[in-house]
Amino acid sequence: MARVEVLLPACTGCGVCVETCPTDVLRMRGEGPDAKAIVAYPADCQACFVCQFDCPYEAIRVWARP
Amino acid sequence: MPERTVHTTDVLIIGGGIAAAFAALKARDAGASVLLADKSFFGRSGCSALASGVYPTYMPGDDEQAWLRSFAGPLVNQPLVMKALPIMYEHLMLMDRCGVKWVKEGERIIRLGGPGRNFDSGALMGEGGPQMMMAVRGEVLRRGVQVLSRIMITDLLTSDGCHPTGGRVVGALGFHSRTGALYVIRAKATIMCTGPYKFPYPKPGSLLGYMPIDLSGDGIAMMLRVGAELSRLELGGINIYPDGLLCAPGLESLMPSGARFVDRDGRRFLEAYDPKRLELTSRALLYFAIATEHSQGRRPAIDLTGLPPERAQLLAQVIPIIIQNYRTAGYDVTHDWIPYTYQVAGTSGIFGAGARITEQGETSVPGLYAAGTCSDMAYLPGGHLPFCSVSGHWAGEQAGAEVPGMAEPSVPEAQVEALAAAALAPLGRADGLSFEAVHEALGQILVEEVGLVMSGTRLERAIGRVSGLLAEQVPRLRARDPHELAKVHALVNYTQILEPILRAYLYRTESRVAFMREDFPDIDNEQWLKMVIVQRRDGALRLWDEPIPSSFHLVPPRRTKSRHLAFRSRDGAG
Repeated sequence: MARVEVLLPACTGCGVCVETCPTDVLRMRGEGPDAKAIVAYPADCQACFVCQFDCPYEAIRVWARP
Repeated sequence: MPERTVHTTDVLIIGGGIAAAFAALKARDAGASVLLADKSFFGRSGCSALASGVYPTYMPGDDEQAWLRSFAGPLVNQPLVMKALPIMYEHLMLMDRCGVKWVKEGERIIRLGGPGRNFDSGALMGEGGPQMMMAVRGEVLRRGVQVLSRIMITDLLTSDGCHPTGGRVVGALGFHSRTGALYVIRAKATIMCTGPYKFPYPKPGSLLGYMPIDLSGDGIAMMLRVGAELSRLELGGINIYPDGLLCAPGLESLMPSGARFVDRDGRRFLEAYDPKRLELTSRALLYFAIATEHSQGRRPAIDLTGLPPERAQLLAQVIPIIIQNYRTAGYDVTHDWIPYTYQVAGTSGIFGAGARITEQGETSVPGLYAAGTCSDMAYLPGGHLPFCSVSGHWAGEQAGAEVPGMAEPSVPEAQVEALAAAALAPLGRADGLSFEAVHEALGQILVEEVGLVMSGTRLERAIGRVSGLLAEQVPRLRARDPHELAKVHALVNYTQILEPILRAYLYRTESRVAFMREDFPDIDNEQWLKMVIVQRRDGALRLWDEPIPSSFHLVPPRRTKSRHLAFRSRDGAG
């Protein structure tokens, strides 16, 4: 298990990370301007950093260890 | 039953790595309609997107004999290697045109050497595997392939409605891992490209493996159930990776960059295994050496402290996932050694292992093709991206050429109903066993009974314990939502293929490369230049062997017996 965190003030809810996470860790919560990515399945994060690389707003951080 | 979506296509491709992508492109070239279904997000899924930074490819002007010598093992289809070389280059250039950011000097794609090769072959991915596969995804979409992501395919459908089938494969059934909706895909031809098998969802520090954590041999399990012949299962190999992390090894880029392996005392232990080539020895021997040092308590670690800063900078671009893993785990690569560990057997890492295929990708079941590391790759050396892309190319080309002559597929409704009910059953077992409980039990069997160096006694015990798990625990698994249902299927599929894998280990009574039997310590080229085939028929597994065809050998093998390196020191001490 690794660790992934969404920095909510920076997240615009664009959904890129939710679309591309290989192991389906992230999901959207909320509607319209309140929409945010959330970590729905933290145990399945493999620390591949794809979400962190893809996020246009630097709103996601990943660590290789919990 | 939940909502059901029905698709019809000429060619169905299951999986989303580089073999799947090139199979899709070649089937489109032949004029077929193509649908690609991936359990993850196509472009981010599987090994290809998490690749170790290089596409080790032939280029015109290379010494073809040097390529042959690098891949001339006695169990390798050597003429097929030679046939693959120009196609690798074709793929490299196609990927260049569709936006893969190869590292270049001016207009020229530059290459690095790599483990097992005394010449430069590895074209460097300038922004790593993720960028490579997203560019390839773009090309696949532009060419009109219909892509469905997050579809967990659970079973193949057959013309006679039977598993195993006496007829042909006519498509597949699956569900969406977010909505739970059912998908029925009718196809004239199906190409399986689901990659290698590993223990799924390993925990760090468990000796059970690393990313991608969801590769569980799903396709191999589906092919086993329809009665396809499987091969090379016992030669899947072992893997090594950073200890305590889920990070891939990255050695294809790290070794030619000047990385060294040292033990806890700073001794460069490869000197004892291959004093001439050291860390640039074959990948199999490199893995074997690291695993052996670890199992003997000498804490092998990678030493990057001597890398020039510009090379360290390049690595951060080429293998960004690995460098970020090191960094966020607290290692300073200019100062620290990073410990590596091994993954126990029960995985296919070095070779492709799975469906037995022809050179055109046909399995033994009509309508079903396979490519990449979920197949035996027609005895190409597996595990390298270019051999996987070429294998996909050939399967896509063949399937695409055959569909015009095939009838519209008819899917038996009773089979769809029965398989769908079985696929979704864990959602209805509120009091069933948790994923975690069965996962833990299976992991224990691998660590306790299989390990790195195997023995017949322990393998027989492992087979007994896996059969017990399949009979008593697997049918009681529960899933709380579609996401967990996909994980449950991954775990069930891996448990199902473990039985044929363990039986194939038991069947091959020798040691070879990363396959080590303490009760059969010799590399036996007198008796074992053979392939082991496994098939499910009449409710039981059948195993047999067939000689490696002499047509495989451009470099004739020495038919002798010699002690495997793993057991030489034991003999000396004894």
